[in-house]
Amino acid sequence: MLRRIFLPSILIVLTYGFWISPDFKEISAGVAIFLFGMLTLEEGFKAFSGGTLEKILEKSTDKLHKSIGFGFVATAIMQSSSLVSVLTISFIGAGLIGLTQGIGIILGANIGTTTGAWLMAGFGLKVKISAYAMPMLVFGVILIFQKAKTLKGIGYILAGLGFLFLGIHYMKEGFEAFKDTIDLASFAVDGFKGLMIFIGIGVLATVVMQSSHATIVLILAALSVGQITYENALALTIGANIGTTITAVIGSLSSNIDGKRLAGAHFIFNVITAVVAVIFMDQIISLVAVISDSIGISSDNHTLRLAVFDSFFKIMGVLIFIPFVDKLVNFLQTTIKPGKKEEDEFEGVKYLNDSVLELPATSMASLIKETKHLYANAFEIITHGLNLKRSNIISDMSLDDVIKDSYSKETIDIDDFYNHRIKGIYGEIIDFSTKAQSHMEPEDIESLYKIKLANRDIVEAVKDTKHLQKNLIKYDKTSNQHIKEQYDNIKIDLAELLRNIDLISKMKEEDEIILLLSKAKVHMQRYDILANGTLDRLIRNDLVTNEMATSLMNDSAYAYNISKHFIAMAEVIFIDSSGDIKNIDEDMVISDEDVDLILKEKDD
Amino acid sequence: MGIKKFIENVKESLGIDECKNTGKKKSIKRLLEKLRARKEILNKVPKKKLDKKEKKELKEELAIITLQIKKGEKILDEFNSQDTKNSKNKKEK
Repeated sequence: MLRRIFLPSILIVLTYGFWISPDFKEISAGVAIFLFGMLTLEEGFKAFSGGTLEKILEKSTDKLHKSIGFGFVATAIMQSSSLVSVLTISFIGAGLIGLTQGIGIILGANIGTTTGAWLMAGFGLKVKISAYAMPMLVFGVILIFQKAKTLKGIGYILAGLGFLFLGIHYMKEGFEAFKDTIDLASFAVDGFKGLMIFIGIGVLATVVMQSSHATIVLILAALSVGQITYENALALTIGANIGTTITAVIGSLSSNIDGKRLAGAHFIFNVITAVVAVIFMDQIISLVAVISDSIGISSDNHTLRLAVFDSFFKIMGVLIFIPFVDKLVNFLQTTIKPGKKEEDEFEGVKYLNDSVLELPATSMASLIKETKHLYANAFEIITHGLNLKRSNIISDMSLDDVIKDSYSKETIDIDDFYNHRIKGIYGEIIDFSTKAQSHMEPEDIESLYKIKLANRDIVEAVKDTKHLQKNLIKYDKTSNQHIKEQYDNIKIDLAELLRNIDLISKMKEEDEIILLLSKAKVHMQRYDILANGTLDRLIRNDLVTNEMATSLMNDSAYAYNISKHFIAMAEVIFIDSSGDIKNIDEDMVISDEDVDLILKEKDD
Repeated sequence: MGIKKFIENVKESLGIDECKNTGKKKSIKRLLEKLRARKEILNKVPKKKLDKKEKKELKEELAIITLQIKKGEKILDEFNSQDTKNSKNKKEK
């Protein structure tokens, strides 16, 4: 409702402003060009986020001070704390970094935004910045039309910077012309009342422009031509800092629970910093004056002094918060709790949300994690479908004992399990993959296809278990020991397979992983009861009925398929996606011919 | 010079493909070391003390490891011959 009123109101106010003042039009156009520049710059940096940026982020956020450093450097380079926030939310959403590291990045990004004020105050206002903008725009646009991803990325960055500079130029020009018609400084309000009014204006301006960076640049442009007083500019800066958290809160509405918690942390951090700044305003102004004097900034150079204030105020906030980050995390985890749907571990997806879709690496990481989640559910369903206990399978218990210790006396309804724990997640994985694909390069799409196949393998394995279950139950109670023995063997072999896959999922030594996978492939041949003569022996000696023989033949095929699907899934999920072994898996995983060779050697 | 050829030349002069192969070679070498060590341990297991089932398992594991070692060595040989070919080509140029 609010949004519906908000947009038309803004448009009406702007139209009226343009009608009564051409200078206001110029300032607004400057802001619009500046914001467009930021969008273009973000687009450019996204072109380089196909791995490198993610790797750096993953490695440089393992400790709080590193996270803060990363947030600072990334924001200083990209000149956009919102892009850094989006990246951080994506990484938290994908489970690649925790909330503590995320908060560290946000704290660092807050300090990183101060570089914008320094650039504007120290460089943007002193030189004819539009002279730099023009060639950047021309070269940028030429490069944007190139096919190569890197060149395109560079093009977007150049054009983005060009638009930023051009925007600053128009804002500056607009305010200079504005000065001749209206003196905004005459609206200056002193004292606490003025402080609160201008903080409010700062919040509002940032919410409208969706960028504190743009607000601060606008404040500096107005301050440089004396349209606002230094004191009011300080209040506007504090307001901009609060306003930016409101945009983050709105942006986090579509993200997962950790994204919401991160936005909450951002809000708490900025509001408390602002409150501290308001309380100690006089002392901070004095300190800023001392710092400015000591680094040689003259007392009438208000723009550079504002940059000093911006830096001091933000660094102070970070220093105040560092000792309380863990407490803040605990507070957020207890106050912002997941909804019922998110709390239910098995009913819905855990790692897929729209916030990770922006980057191929994060969407891929989320998909792998979600596939592992689906595998965990399937593992449980298959185990219970075979009437075995999951805890026994993943223990050291001998397999003969594992099959003796039944899970339940009653038949497990695999269909019910499938509908509750597989179908929904599988559907969402496929839906998410389709959405993620549109952001991906061909090589990523190939990996995505493999993940989709792995998911299909999991689902097929569950379906095969359902077919197998009927006769497993039937022949478990039979008086014919020969057929019972065969079905017990199937159970033992599948229990072994599940144990091996579980081991593979936890292992890091590549030789052991490859060995276990090869063993699983060799053991799969045990189900070929026609080729190994088992069926022939049973029929010839009249040990089983024709009906039993047919059932055994069909069920061996189901068991074979379960093994085949699970092995194929493990090759993608537990090997293809992990470190060193990823380099060698395709060459070292054994083929069907290799299996025949091993079996021959074994029989010799 | 076409753009594709230009990229190929840059790749060659910077040795980007070689880097990729070197990484793979190192991974295979490491894996081979581990497999050989494992094979050595398995060969030292006193077979007389094992029952029939255990003997069968040991034989199977040894067969798999031997095959993996052969595979690894073959890949390594291919890389080495490729490296020799590349360095010869460079010298000729």
